[in-house]
Amino acid sequence: MTTQRRDSLALSVLLSAPAVFLLTLSVVPVLLLLQLSVAHHAEGGLWSPGFELSQYAQLLNPEFLKVAAFSFGLAIVTALITVTIAFPAAYFITRMRRRTQVAWLVGLLSTLSLSEVLVVFAFQVLLSGGGGLVKALVTLGVMAQPQSLYPNVAAVLVCLVYLVLPYIILFLYPALSRLDDDLPAAAATMGASPPRIFVSVTAPLVRGSLFSAFLLVIIFTVGSYLTPLVLGRPQHWTIGILINNAAMGTGNLPLAAAQAVALVLIMAVLFGLARGLGRARDASE
Amino acid sequence: MIKLATALRRLFLGLVALFIAAPLLVVIGVSFNESRRMSFPPTVISLKWYRAFFTDPDWTDSLKLSLSISALAALVSVTVALPIAYAVWRYRSRAATAMASVGSSLFLLPGVVTALMFSAFWGVVGHVGRAENVVLSHGAVLLGIPIALLSVGFQAIDRNLIEAARTMGAGETDAFRMVIRPAMTPYILCALIYVFVLSLNEYLIAYMVAGFSVQTLPIRVFGSMRSGYEPTLCVGAVIFIVLGLASFWLLAAIGDLPRLMGRHKPLEA
Repeated sequence: MTTQRRDSLALSVLLSAPAVFLLTLSVVPVLLLLQLSVAHHAEGGLWSPGFELSQYAQLLNPEFLKVAAFSFGLAIVTALITVTIAFPAAYFITRMRRRTQVAWLVGLLSTLSLSEVLVVFAFQVLLSGGGGLVKALVTLGVMAQPQSLYPNVAAVLVCLVYLVLPYIILFLYPALSRLDDDLPAAAATMGASPPRIFVSVTAPLVRGSLFSAFLLVIIFTVGSYLTPLVLGRPQHWTIGILINNAAMGTGNLPLAAAQAVALVLIMAVLFGLARGLGRARDASE
Repeated sequence: MIKLATALRRLFLGLVALFIAAPLLVVIGVSFNESRRMSFPPTVISLKWYRAFFTDPDWTDSLKLSLSISALAALVSVTVALPIAYAVWRYRSRAATAMASVGSSLFLLPGVVTALMFSAFWGVVGHVGRAENVVLSHGAVLLGIPIALLSVGFQAIDRNLIEAARTMGAGETDAFRMVIRPAMTPYILCALIYVFVLSLNEYLIAYMVAGFSVQTLPIRVFGSMRSGYEPTLCVGAVIFIVLGLASFWLLAAIGDLPRLMGRHKPLEA
């Protein structure tokens, strides 16, 4: 048997089972979601296959557009805050001694083992009127009377940042550990201050990773459900909550599917625009 | 100037560490609190919620169910990812590369979208409210993690080493046993633990494909959010924290954690 034939035999043995898995559990569900979004909705949580755009037409009401705009705004602000904290944190961690570094990595990874459900719950306790934070603020005289620090949009933001921060630090870790220390050192000998080196030497070198990190936060938070539901007010509801309400509450799966497809499409358009802008900037430099 | 910079760096890192630790401390605090009220810090220390947790079959069943679902999801996802990543590396196969991108794509969709997708999928299949739905859905959605980690692992293997082994008469199986398996073991473990931990905590997909009929721990907590909290749920959280810490310390002990997390340059002690 020739090597080529042996290789292709090996490949088909290796890949046939994963191919079946991917086809049934990745490709089919995506196609089903697309079909569902143009399917006919019948009363009682039923739907029948077909092609109609009535669900998409429903999305054009100002209520949905407002919620969509809020969801993306929330995700973008979360991304800005998270990357601003994660970038220096990851940078400092990559420059630590090995033992400290491993301790940080274990700590970050362990917070991933706290479900969003539990994080939201913990913030509820922490921000409540009887919680330690409020008591401390009252003792310090920052707050006149104990009162709950949620529901409001700040609580939603803090919790969302908390949920994505470990992921983003871990995401930036490889890129930052690869950074050469000679360039900042050279800048320092030429008299640049550490913050200046950070902004004008280190940051431009990792612009691509920062941009990906930013998009990653948006992916993780734009569909957020539980955090705005529990820590926000109804005016802070997101597309995630609408999708869930349509699917689980009113049983209108086609509408939920159309909202989900719209969410992904808006995301794709925004990412495309952002990438295009980045290219245009690189080209002009 | 240098001292000020160091002090600022320490302050910043201290605040980040405090922020990251805060919810963990709250949950641990409430779990040891005597009172039924959710207050932090605890006033009287007691183990009574631990007793309540371990004597209530509802909670222990949820814990066992969660652990089995996540372990199986981790196995499924790594088993599917391994041949794909291997084929990309060993044969530079285009089909495998395409499969790797398809496999990673679900992870890049918002959770609520994949949850809806699988809820519709299992509805059409006519297989609703079962634990295996959660296993397979988690396995498919989290596939991006083992694909990424295992690809990094394979790329780190020195191809010259395998060539050398071949020249010295080693067959495919020997190369596998002597070079590939030892190099890949930490990455496989890391992928298993990662998927396990993420599946353990995922509630939206689990809730939408199995509803309240499969009560994993996060779903039980989610449910108790409506009916009013009990400090018992914090005991579940503490178990999760301990499990997470233990698995990642284990990983750090047997493997080179900075390297597994993608560090390139070796790091001296």
